[in-house]
Amino acid sequence: MDAIVTRGLGKVFKEIGKPKVRSLDSLDLTIRKHEVFGFLGRNGAGKTTTIKILCSLLKPTAGEAFAFGENVRTRRARRLIGYLPEQPYFYEYLTPRETLDFYGQLQGLGPAERAREWDKLSEMLDLRDIAAQRIKGFSKGMRQRVGFAVALVGDPPLLILDEPMSGLDPIGRRNIRELILRMRDENKTLFFSSHVLADVEQVCDRVGILVKGRLVRQGRIDELLGKKTAGVEVVATGLDTSAVAALKATCESHRALDELERFTFADPEAGNRAARMVLEQGGKLVELNPLRETLEDYFMREQRPDERTGVMS
Amino acid sequence: MNRILAVAKNTFREAVRDKVLYVLLFLAAVSIFGSKALGWISIGQDIKIVKDISLASTSIFGVLVAIFIGTSLVYKEIDKRTLYTIISQPMHRWEFLLGKYLGLMGILAVVTVVMTGVSAAYVLLLGGSLEPIYFLAVLLIFWKLLLITAFSLLLSSLTSPILGAIIVFFVYLFGHATGVFLDLPPQFHGTFAEKVLKVAYYAIPNLGNFDLRAEAANGVAVSGVYVAWVLAYGLAYTAVLLLLAALAFEEKDV
Repeated sequence: MDAIVTRGLGKVFKEIGKPKVRSLDSLDLTIRKHEVFGFLGRNGAGKTTTIKILCSLLKPTAGEAFAFGENVRTRRARRLIGYLPEQPYFYEYLTPRETLDFYGQLQGLGPAERAREWDKLSEMLDLRDIAAQRIKGFSKGMRQRVGFAVALVGDPPLLILDEPMSGLDPIGRRNIRELILRMRDENKTLFFSSHVLADVEQVCDRVGILVKGRLVRQGRIDELLGKKTAGVEVVATGLDTSAVAALKATCESHRALDELERFTFADPEAGNRAARMVLEQGGKLVELNPLRETLEDYFMREQRPDERTGVMS
Repeated sequence: MNRILAVAKNTFREAVRDKVLYVLLFLAAVSIFGSKALGWISIGQDIKIVKDISLASTSIFGVLVAIFIGTSLVYKEIDKRTLYTIISQPMHRWEFLLGKYLGLMGILAVVTVVMTGVSAAYVLLLGGSLEPIYFLAVLLIFWKLLLITAFSLLLSSLTSPILGAIIVFFVYLFGHATGVFLDLPPQFHGTFAEKVLKVAYYAIPNLGNFDLRAEAANGVAVSGVYVAWVLAYGLAYTAVLLLLAALAFEEKDV
């Protein structure tokens, strides 16, 4: 059974005196069990709306969504989902231990089970040192750790994370990335939204790209990017200045670092010709690298021309 | 039930840390102790005045706590986004709402008991006596707070705290004077305005029913039937308001 299935999911926001806003339009999505799915899109694309519908914070105006076959509006579905909102907020006057205990109670866990959950999660998320401090003074990274622990209370098989790495420093991001991989190893299904494409590329099995409330693509990253190369990089050394100038005239970009000259060519054939030229000019060919398209290149290509400008997120 | 109690306990804990509560309690204490000053200008009536003002303070400050904290109960959770991780738990939304309500009622119970304790001690210190009707009057004040808090909670799940507080405050004011909606001059007879005011009379809770201040100050007993009727009236009204709040919150996008 698939972990998440949405059929024709849509959300239109209506407020008195304001025009209707269609945030999500006919979303058909299937997330398989045990996979890590990255949900990509700019601000306002509908990522958070989708997540909020899956976590029963918003009611869809069209379509349905299921978690392991259960309609997400039911309590049974909510038992299967652990949710980490973007920049999670908790009661500021509680300590991490009290917070986890509170959520354990909301899950209907008994005192012994709650104590076990604390032992397990405080160790996993390194909360022991801050167990008795109030959340009020916590940094973003610390809050994110508490948020992750809350999402894991009750050991749900599906984790839905909204921009889990947003606003974190490099160490915080790495920690979250490692946690995601650890959860994958524990056979959990992870669905997370992000605008940090490099992070998504590193941890996701599949991605979906949302543009203006519509899913424009979904698939495995390697399938989406395909086998085709985005060009060739020729790295050479021992070239005289005239040979470098001749190669520069045909390449897309050039960089010289230490003894090495790096030329990139969009056309692989031009790369081959350049490699032959290096050898003919008495230079030494150090590397010939195919340049793969990155997720970021792909993402930018998938955005409609009018969508490309502005800050991507 | 455990889930409701967990939310109630947290709400109680949060309200205990709310500065508004202490400002209101301080003002209530000032008015209770200050009541003696009014007693001085009414010779021989000072104990009556102290009792009357103490009950009025308990009522007014209880209502202010119910309005100020009550109308922000749900709104604050949405605004501060603490609701996201709670509503997504395997619990009913009405359980959360009922937990919030019971938590605030817990605070109001403590406030009522403390204020009654202080005023009762003050009356005894001044050489007065306390009849059972005094405590019956306090019970009905608390019953009124049950209703006002339920109304505040309903508005908290519908609108902003400021607008909610204004609406509850006006309902409170009109609730003490519902008689004026029926007692109209002859030119109103048969008009549309008369019908509207008649609807308002039945829709707005008659809070005057809960007021036993005069009886308590003068030590006059009231019938058990009347008290039972008022208690049932308050409970029915509160139940309807809580039901409406639960219905409004069930479908709400957060």
